[in-house]
Amino acid sequence: MLSVIACKLSRSVIRLLGRGGTDFPGRIALKLCPNLLGALAKDVTVILVTGTNGKTTTSRMIEQSLADSGISFFANRSGANLLSGVTAEFAAHSTNTGKCKYPYALIEADEAAFKAISTFVKAKAVVVTNVFRDQLDRYGEVTHTLENIQIGLSHCPGAVVCLNADDSLTRSLTESMDNRVVFYGVDTPIYERRVDELSDAPYCIRCKHEYQYDYVTYGHMGGYHCPNCGYSRPNPDVSVKTVYSTDAEGSHILLRAGEAEYDANINLPGGYNIYNACAAMACGFALGLDGKVTAASLSTFACGFGRMEKFEIDGTSLRMILIKNPAGCNQVLNFLTNTTEPSVFVVLLNDRAQDGKDVSWIWDVDFEKVAGMDGRLDKLLLSGVRADDMALRFKYAGVPADKLSVIKDYDALLKACVSQDKPVYIMPTYTAMLGLRDRISKLYGFKEFWE
Amino acid sequence: MELKICHLYPDILNLYGDRGNILCMEKRLRWRGISVTSEGVSIGQPLNVSSYDLFFIGGGQDFEQEVLLEDLKTGKSNEIKAAVDDGKTFLAICGGYQMLGAYYKTWDGHQCDFIGALNLYTVGQKERMIGNYAFTCEELPGINVVGFENHSGKTFLGEGVRPIGRVLSGSGNNGEDGGEGARYRNVFATYSHGCLLPKNPALCDHILTTALAAKYGEAALAPLDDTLERNAHQYMENRLLSKK
Repeated sequence: MLSVIACKLSRSVIRLLGRGGTDFPGRIALKLCPNLLGALAKDVTVILVTGTNGKTTTSRMIEQSLADSGISFFANRSGANLLSGVTAEFAAHSTNTGKCKYPYALIEADEAAFKAISTFVKAKAVVVTNVFRDQLDRYGEVTHTLENIQIGLSHCPGAVVCLNADDSLTRSLTESMDNRVVFYGVDTPIYERRVDELSDAPYCIRCKHEYQYDYVTYGHMGGYHCPNCGYSRPNPDVSVKTVYSTDAEGSHILLRAGEAEYDANINLPGGYNIYNACAAMACGFALGLDGKVTAASLSTFACGFGRMEKFEIDGTSLRMILIKNPAGCNQVLNFLTNTTEPSVFVVLLNDRAQDGKDVSWIWDVDFEKVAGMDGRLDKLLLSGVRADDMALRFKYAGVPADKLSVIKDYDALLKACVSQDKPVYIMPTYTAMLGLRDRISKLYGFKEFWE
Repeated sequence: MELKICHLYPDILNLYGDRGNILCMEKRLRWRGISVTSEGVSIGQPLNVSSYDLFFIGGGQDFEQEVLLEDLKTGKSNEIKAAVDDGKTFLAICGGYQMLGAYYKTWDGHQCDFIGALNLYTVGQKERMIGNYAFTCEELPGINVVGFENHSGKTFLGEGVRPIGRVLSGSGNNGEDGGEGARYRNVFATYSHGCLLPKNPALCDHILTTALAAKYGEAALAPLDDTLERNAHQYMENRLLSKK
């Protein structure tokens, strides 16, 4: 088990060097032993979470429900969701002889890496959050993402599969498998006012006729049916029946799992987090956990880094919300542009591999709604290597020039953020978030994410 | 003055932020006091080409592009061809660019016939040509265009069609002959997403001038404050070209 030790060792060295290496140690170990993950995961019952958006938050919610249900498990918390990163996480939670210290593992899997990861682990439950267009320079097309997930599911014959009933793309995964399926969905529209967005799936995946909708929650999700072939939203096993209220701190909802109903408070705002909560509830239902415990855990879970994460620095409240694709970013705006208090927005756009090298997607986001906030938008600060593209996007969205400033240097940007007397909402792409967090921890002493 | 823009298949050919190009054309006309309307025409809707001055066609995913081939066959192909020959102005990007050509042949030999308004064809290959790139614009001496290309098709131009310019960094039409895009009558076709027009304001104004001149005989556009446009353009141009 030399490779396990190599993996652990390189992780310790990298951490000593002060960099959050979540992927590199796994790559070394996989070179030494290609089937390392299979060997390490041999006796572990695994819960896999995949899909385009919401994987991390859904995983954190499931994590809380597992902990509250008294299950002994580990999770790949640091966002290392590729084969190498997942292998490193298993190695880190195993003895030096390669025996995992926990009977359960909760693994968030990148939707492209899912098909590889699933060959090595025994999944008891798989949660698919949704399928949206994402980083097309990497994945090609949504149908390609769907195929990857489909192949991954074929490696999980014994798993209960939790699928988003409201997503016509995800729902189609049932056509190629015999697994037990738990459908989950939201029975009601979430927002009174939504951003304008393009549908990622306007045409029936079976027969290419245009869908009709009874209601839309966001994006292409909602109560769809095809008037030609009858393909439609299935009745969910787990659903959100009512959204009582939703504000800047969270949402109050009524959940149903099977016949039972549960009142629940989600301690994160945003309609997409209502979906994540519903997915976590479905996972608990699939695993046979006590629904009361699962529902209660939604009010106490700790959000993933950069997912509405809150910092208080020198009396200024900063919230960091990761953006990575049009659908996800539109949902962030659905929440932010409905806030009533005047706020400062900060957008950081990078174009490295993990952000998506093509920044064209910012033109598919309804940033016009930000311009429409008028007085409720106090200032808009732009940073990241493509800050100039972002500034241009907001100019054409109609944000007045005197509200826009480009501050590429992170330290200067943070100084500008903490000097605000209004709430600050920071929207970075992935690598910008890592870079900015690094500066926050250096300058203001917050702990780093891998600790 | 007024321009009427037709956005073809806006619900299907809408990948990679191409709708930002429409937004850019609209704003740059309005900022100069020129009226503009834009209308989407999609599957099943009649296309009356004579009621528009400028046509925009974006790119789509393969699954959705298949949906509209039937619709093209039922009449729109001929309409579009007639509009091109009639001197209407077109901006076509990526999938829309390919679609104006004669055909697309997949890497395994399957051929898909397209509109055939421009003498060019595309051959698919397994490897995609992806990345930020830059090319010259023959009609705008001294000005380079920056954008993002993402295509697996190699496009080859036939007689009568010339490229927009020469590739300075990246692949362009086919990665072989150094050309990027296609010019024919008043058609501008390119692989450039990015999105294209906002950070290439000179090209945007050139296309708008072409459309206005076709309609009114002559046209000159007043200058605008393009500081932010130039910043975004300059950043990418430096990044791509200063390395060499």
